[in-house]
Amino acid sequence: MTTGPAPGALTEEIARTVQGVPGVAFLRPGLAGRLRSTLPRAQEGRDRAPTAGVRLSRPGGTERWHVEIHLVALGQVRALDVARAARRSVEEYLLSVFPAEASAHVTVTVTGRV
Amino acid sequence: MTAHTDPSDAHSGSPHTDDTHTGDVHDDERLPCGRLLSQVWDDWERGPADTADPHLRTCPHCRRSVRGLDELESAVRDLRDETTDTSAYDTTSLTQRVMDVVRLELRPGRPLSLGEPAEDLWIMESVAARTLRAAAESVSGVRAGSCRLLPLDISDGTGGPVVEVSLALHAPARVPLPELADQVRGRVREAADRELGLAIGAVDIRVTDLIDTTADSQEGETR
Repeated sequence: MTTGPAPGALTEEIARTVQGVPGVAFLRPGLAGRLRSTLPRAQEGRDRAPTAGVRLSRPGGTERWHVEIHLVALGQVRALDVARAARRSVEEYLLSVFPAEASAHVTVTVTGRV
Repeated sequence: MTAHTDPSDAHSGSPHTDDTHTGDVHDDERLPCGRLLSQVWDDWERGPADTADPHLRTCPHCRRSVRGLDELESAVRDLRDETTDTSAYDTTSLTQRVMDVVRLELRPGRPLSLGEPAEDLWIMESVAARTLRAAAESVSGVRAGSCRLLPLDISDGTGGPVVEVSLALHAPARVPLPELADQVRGRVREAADRELGLAIGAVDIRVTDLIDTTADSQEGETR
């Protein structure tokens, strides 16, 4: 296996990548994110991307990354186009970090439109 | 409130010897005319002061003290009327929006395939249904109800429609329903393709009610 960022940092970078995709409003917040938003901790996490909408794994110890993305898309952009762009951005990012590895399997689910 | 006694009897004697009204004298205000404020107010509440007691009609102190009470009652009455009016406000829109959020959180539905089956891209049923309902309601006078998206068998991987749509709606009365249904189908298909990228098959429409649009026509046209 090629060395790369730690899993936590990798998840965060993927989240940041997806959030930069045109048409993505935000990643689906998890329960912790919903509760945290009401607490005065925004300063603490300002430089960290919320990662609740990203799940990263290597099932069965395989060499292939499996990435699940749950995102909320902007209403004025076609949901399919947003999902495709998000998938492509993740694939390209992982390829840039692990150029020698097999391409990642990326699943994208649109959980909302705003 | 105590039982009423004849005002002329109650106030005819010296105020200082009137035992009826001196029980709480330390907490009560005595007007310059000698009468207790509480008794003046009590008399005012019981009926028209000018007919019950000549003193209340002529005494400037008593008149001033009940004028404030009168103003207070008018203000309360206005407020009560205003509160009654607000019950007529249309809260349907707000309720609908709140329930949409709650429904989305609690019952997101199943994931539906977006694009080609092999792409592994999905959209939650509730999200797609909301878009399709809005498309149906873009037809004047139509109110969309339940919208179910029923997955089709896509195991052969040949592409094509992935869901069928079952949509209930309230239709405007005095409009030909077949034409209306075709119009709704067109809007739903267009939204599924243009806004979602979802390949839909049949669009089954059930008209569950007819609405008299004479009162709603303006609202329908502005949607």
